[in-house]
Amino acid sequence: VKYLLLHAVDESANANTESSAAQVALDAWIDEMTARGIVLEGARLHPVSDATTVTARDGQPVVLDGPFAETKEQIAGYDVIDCADRDEAVAVAAAHPTSYVGGIEVRPFAPGMPDPEVPDTVAAGKRRYLMLVCADMRRAMAAAREQDATRNNPTPDDEGDEGGADIDAWVDSVAGTRLYGWPLEFPDQAVTVRRVDGKVVTTDGPFAETKEQIAGYDLLECDDLDHAIHAARTHPVAGGGVLEVRPLWG
Amino acid sequence: MTTGMSTADDAVASSFTELWGRLVAGLIGWCGDWDLAEECAQEAFAAAVVVWERDGTPSSPLGWLTTVARNRARDRFRRRTTEAAKLALAGPDLGMDAGTEADPPSYDEIPDDRLRLIFTCCHPALPMPARVALTLRTLCGLSSSEIARAFLVTESAMDKRLVRARAKIKHAGIPYRVPPAELWPERVGGVLAVLYLMFNEGYAASSGESVLRVDVSAEAIRLTRSLVELLPGEDEVGALLALMLLTDARRSARVRNGRVVPLGEQDRTRWNQESIAAGAALLEGHEPPWGPYAVQARVALCHDAAATPDETDWEAIAGLYTFLPATPVTELNRAVAVSMTAGPRVALDLIEPLAAELADYYLYDATRADFETRLGLLDEAAGSLRRAIELASTGAERRLLRERLEALSAH
Repeated sequence: VKYLLLHAVDESANANTESSAAQVALDAWIDEMTARGIVLEGARLHPVSDATTVTARDGQPVVLDGPFAETKEQIAGYDVIDCADRDEAVAVAAAHPTSYVGGIEVRPFAPGMPDPEVPDTVAAGKRRYLMLVCADMRRAMAAAREQDATRNNPTPDDEGDEGGADIDAWVDSVAGTRLYGWPLEFPDQAVTVRRVDGKVVTTDGPFAETKEQIAGYDLLECDDLDHAIHAARTHPVAGGGVLEVRPLWG
Repeated sequence: MTTGMSTADDAVASSFTELWGRLVAGLIGWCGDWDLAEECAQEAFAAAVVVWERDGTPSSPLGWLTTVARNRARDRFRRRTTEAAKLALAGPDLGMDAGTEADPPSYDEIPDDRLRLIFTCCHPALPMPARVALTLRTLCGLSSSEIARAFLVTESAMDKRLVRARAKIKHAGIPYRVPPAELWPERVGGVLAVLYLMFNEGYAASSGESVLRVDVSAEAIRLTRSLVELLPGEDEVGALLALMLLTDARRSARVRNGRVVPLGEQDRTRWNQESIAAGAALLEGHEPPWGPYAVQARVALCHDAAATPDETDWEAIAGLYTFLPATPVTELNRAVAVSMTAGPRVALDLIEPLAAELADYYLYDATRADFETRLGLLDEAAGSLRRAIELASTGAERRLLRERLEALSAH
């Protein structure tokens, strides 16, 4: 089962605490989890001051400075992991150094996700951006809970025929720009891992309560920010949700 | 710059505002590094103070400054050899092997990159305060302390804002270019907002003791003129230029002996009729619906067209304000026009509900004092003037308000 780890850290509190020891611990985690075939892909992100959001106001797309939601902790990076079950995913997250300074949201991807294939090096003249696709899913989640017994896991095609067709058209339109992307399970399927006095503590739900919730993401390789903004504003969610475009580190 | 400047200092100072924007814009286009471009531009100007004093002002100051700044940039690359490879990958060929350029390029040979620069400074992915600050810094060469004073923040906060904005341009990959045609409509609006703020900054100089910053207004007008040429179909660009010209026409009458002269007391023979004609011509033939700049330009024209204050068409002005979104400041301006036709009592009732929202806006209390004076409410008027004096940000504004206060007590 594939899970997304979202590393959430308070940027203002941790701005000057990056130590070589933390870097050594991070490298060790990546080496071990890669060797075990658990980590498939991951990256560090630039801070939220480098984030740009695309949303709609009065039916018009607007571009704004900043992240999709103002939260105490901000997403600093992510990893895609493949684990036997949720317990193993939580253990893998707890072993990550972020658990000592912030929270790690562990969220399953919707089923059927292929292994992400991301070249190690960025193509010449290109930049990589993580595009977080966010929408207010509380209604959809409530509806899903009501028909819990018959509920299937959401896949792109479950959003209704029209929505699925829109997504397919968008994916076609960003061919060559989009490295991969996949929807996540609802946020109520998330568990957040932290350490309190060194001990692992897990809480149900995402790392922060926000008006819109992360529904999935796409990894983009673009010429520049305008190119990434264009990809975001043509996404079907742009009319009713928020897309955050955040540059990858390096 | 302080007093006692030499002629070379004068030459450098007078060319600074004029050349800074073009120099920095050209350097960013050349090396792709905003910090480096600004640092080397600053060093080139510092060198000019020394060399122009010794050798005289060069025939092409921009060419001279560009050559010196590029050489400084190359020196830095050589010193930081490890980083040179990285930068060479990121940017264009900087002519590392070219050594020094024997013949500085002439002014006309250097492309005017300021439009690229302003579209980048005004990119919607930057926060609005950062867009204004970046434009004033990189295009007008205002120091961060000058910009900080203009926006009533500390210098360190302004430095941080500029550093963060440059970091975002670099890290998020905001392109250094004039956007493609399909993005113009939305990007142009953002640029106009910044240009208008810049013009007002120069015109009203809310930041300092010197009331008029002619060069900043002129730079705003020049940039807007370039936009009119590039975007002939965009009515609001021409309307903004008209608004600037129609306002700027009153410049030499607006200040007397370091004191701001209110519109009604200005010597109208000193208004620049050429600017008024040019502004009026830009508005001709454009029918409603009008954008906000077109409406404001027409208000300015109503004032400019009146040979005496009594001839002002206040009804037309009050009517024009209803075309604008009803913000507290718009309502305040409309009330002034209403006071001239319906009287100060009606106008005072109109602005009463705005008190809380305009609590920090000195013109609210100054306007209120005017209505109260006209109604014979002299104690109330004195109170309003004292509040306005506390809120006013320039010495010239405070002097004018104090004079009014003294005139009141003489009653």
